[in-house]
Amino acid sequence: MKSPLYRSFVSATHALSMPLVGLACVALALFLFSCSSIPPAHRTTPPGDEGGLSPRYSIVCIIHGDGGYLYHDAHGDAHRADEVTLAKAKTVAERNTQAEVFIFHERRRRHLLLFLPRRDGTFYYYRNGRLLAEESYWRDQGELRFDTEIELYDRFRAEGSPDPMRLFLYFGHEIPEIGGAGYDASYKNRTFTVGDLADGLRRITRDSTKVDLVVLSTCFSGTPRAIAAVAPYARYVIASPDNLHLSYFDLRPFERLDIGLREGDVSGFANTFARHAFDRLTEDVQTAVTVVVYDVDRVRGFLYSADSIYGRALITMKGRTPASIERCDCAEDSAYALPGMNEGMAVFYRPSRFGRLKHKESHSGWECWRLVK
Amino acid sequence: MMCVLVYAGIAVGQDNVQKYFNDAACKVKATNDPSQKREILNNKFQDMSKALGMVRSSPLVSKTDRAGIDRFKAALQEKQDELAGANGYARVSDDQLNAFSDYVVQDMEQADKTITMSVVTALLIVIIIILVT
Repeated sequence: MKSPLYRSFVSATHALSMPLVGLACVALALFLFSCSSIPPAHRTTPPGDEGGLSPRYSIVCIIHGDGGYLYHDAHGDAHRADEVTLAKAKTVAERNTQAEVFIFHERRRRHLLLFLPRRDGTFYYYRNGRLLAEESYWRDQGELRFDTEIELYDRFRAEGSPDPMRLFLYFGHEIPEIGGAGYDASYKNRTFTVGDLADGLRRITRDSTKVDLVVLSTCFSGTPRAIAAVAPYARYVIASPDNLHLSYFDLRPFERLDIGLREGDVSGFANTFARHAFDRLTEDVQTAVTVVVYDVDRVRGFLYSADSIYGRALITMKGRTPASIERCDCAEDSAYALPGMNEGMAVFYRPSRFGRLKHKESHSGWECWRLVK
Repeated sequence: MMCVLVYAGIAVGQDNVQKYFNDAACKVKATNDPSQKREILNNKFQDMSKALGMVRSSPLVSKTDRAGIDRFKAALQEKQDELAGANGYARVSDDQLNAFSDYVVQDMEQADKTITMSVVTALLIVIIIILVT
């Protein structure tokens, strides 16, 4: 027979150990769950059984959120650019009843209990205004940057004819033209360049039909190299050659593509979208605002002429310290004064309200590099 | 686990530097007196500049980070000059001070990506800013 003291000790330790065992079980279950190779999927409809009409519009939206995306609005309220954009992209997806919308949210890698990694990508698939699938995935599983995204795109995209009008949107920080390490805060050694983005576009278009409109909602994407990289896969590109505030391009014109693109006029829609984005940005932003629509066929001549000059400049800049180089309007470098420099673009520009460049009256629509004097 | 702490540290450091300038903008907008607005902005610039100077001289800071701090300081100095109308700038007018405080916040948030610092430096700046203010 055990003594009362022993029994009370056992009882106490038992009472204490039960929650600990429970906690350990929960931790183990979460660990196994987080390491599982099968992503947790949430589908409301099985693949191929979505029903309804073939979508007239196909939108792919990639939102990078693995970095410093905090910004403050004019009221002083803090926002995470990727979270705000995700909400807007979902609204676009819900309001377009004739579209399929792929949303990829690339999030910062987080850990459970400090050491259990959690999935860092979330995929949403909408068709005709309804959310049909939501999956989380690992972003680092493929050899190429967008392997997982392309796999999900191929798995879910609607088959059938006619081909839908294709739109591609990217939201994030400036996409490097060379190097590209450190773009993802969670993967310091992983690289991402405009070449990787172009490769993603190539795999979406499958070397056939071009994407009708590519929107690059990032800083400094209106460079000869960046536009040349996506040009083989796009008919029109909207980008900012200068800094772009993290409130990004406003997506409201995308909410009713059945109206905005009713006539199939991509050029007209691109200009309307760019004008709207410019107007929204200039309401609250005090730094420079530049939004440009590039008609890819019409800027091809300039891109071809400028390519070697820009390539040489990139090589020159490569070994320099960040303090010794800076961005500038290509028009300020006489080497780029080439035929066709101002053709095939609609440039919406307002200079910074303060700073050294507040009196700069115009922008060529192309951004280049130069050495600091 | 170290990586988790490093990323968390970088995020905390960057976010706090941004919040620092946002707080200044909120205070500027909360007062109607232009001289107070100027004082708020000036004090914030000076405190941050002092913190950057102290962090720069720390042996914990790498050479790369020192270069980043120098660019950060230079950007800050430009704003101080513009506020005061020094170094070739026209002085920011009284009725533009609210907009100027927004400009400071927005420009610093954009610079966030081009001026990258390690976690040690980012956290040091935050700690010293808390101590000197």
